[in-house]
Amino acid sequence: MQIIVVGCGRMGSELAYRMSQRGQDVAVIALPDAPRENLPADFQGRVFEGDVTNYEVLHRAGIETCDALVAATNSDALNLVVAHAAAQKFHVKTVVARNYDPAYRYLYEMFDLQIVSATSWAAQRLEEMVYHGEVRAVFSAGNGEVEVYELAVGAEWDGHPLSEWMIADVIAVSVARAGRAHLPRPDWILKAGDVVHVSATLDGVESLRALVCRPREEK
Amino acid sequence: MYVVIVGGGRTGAQLARTLIAQDHDVHVVDDRKQVLTRIHRELPTELIHEGELLNAQVLEQAGIEQADVMAACTTHDEVNLVLCYLARKRYGVRRTIARVNNPRNAWLFNDLFHVDVELNQASIMASMIQEEMSLGDMVTLLKLRRGHYSLVEEKIPAGAKAVGVAIKDLVLPRNCVITAILRSGDVVVPRGETVFEVGDEVLALTDPKSARELVALFEDPEMD
Repeated sequence: MQIIVVGCGRMGSELAYRMSQRGQDVAVIALPDAPRENLPADFQGRVFEGDVTNYEVLHRAGIETCDALVAATNSDALNLVVAHAAAQKFHVKTVVARNYDPAYRYLYEMFDLQIVSATSWAAQRLEEMVYHGEVRAVFSAGNGEVEVYELAVGAEWDGHPLSEWMIADVIAVSVARAGRAHLPRPDWILKAGDVVHVSATLDGVESLRALVCRPREEK
Repeated sequence: MYVVIVGGGRTGAQLARTLIAQDHDVHVVDDRKQVLTRIHRELPTELIHEGELLNAQVLEQAGIEQADVMAACTTHDEVNLVLCYLARKRYGVRRTIARVNNPRNAWLFNDLFHVDVELNQASIMASMIQEEMSLGDMVTLLKLRRGHYSLVEEKIPAGAKAVGVAIKDLVLPRNCVITAILRSGDVVVPRGETVFEVGDEVLALTDPKSARELVALFEDPEMD
């Protein structure tokens, strides 16, 4: 794959290095204020220095022929402009942008761009880890708005139908019993030791956690 | 008209003053303390809005939802581009104007980011200087289609090649049409038989290359 990484700060250089280690054809565009020093000495890709809004610089980096472009500078305005031009003018197949300041996320939605919002995502994960350790997030979709969580079934839920767990904003993904995963039907009866995966929003998983981990006196 | 100007530096502030003098409803947004201090001395306080330039709430406070025109005059080209896109896509602003700071970024200032008018100071200056150098007494009255074609006016002095010659006998430059002749206060509609006289003011529609050839026909060669 021919990939252009725009921005050579901590994020851009880390990403470019990883992809070049996997044998991808990587071109990095380093802004005048974030030079190539961030890249390890054994970086295999090409490095171009210059303004990323300068057509000549994009052209030399291969914008007309690349398969993917990642806009990873620490300026949201710059990421928006480069990513939008790559997608709409040069028809680059895969374009992803880094959202630096979460306050500007709405702009990426307006431009219809795929983003990774490292700040929002990390904050959400940290928040989850502060609240609870026993319900583990195993997969994040988007920027963490929906995640897949893993829960172990305790003895107090033995014999209950899985449908009791299917509250608002929670969907069952799989149930693993004795090392074998099943696509669960709503009438699935839980057994102590089952491992259940659910897909849920943060609100959904909070409610589920309150339900599942609540000390159960009745019945 | 309701005009929101984003970026109150020298360009933005000058534009604001001009438009206020013409009774337009002008609002200026900026985020730089120094700039704000300066424009507070020059413009009515209620027209100045302080805050991040790409923040929707700040722009809405400045009234972008009801704006007829949004002028992006910041010193960052990428911010100006995003502002134009935002103004059109989110707020339906009918006309967007953007300042081009670095001429190398000019290729982005078009429909791609919903920029209706690009103000490229460097290239406007360059082409004006070039015109002044090459066209002598010819005056540009109107530029059509972003300045490629112009309506120009030139007064014919004694000794010019065209004096006493009928239009049909004059070899006119390729991309040029004589549109009117002003003679002793009257308008003469140019026909093939019309003969040029000393003192005629000739109006022509022309591109820059033909304009230079036109100058050669209508100027006194001795003057150089």
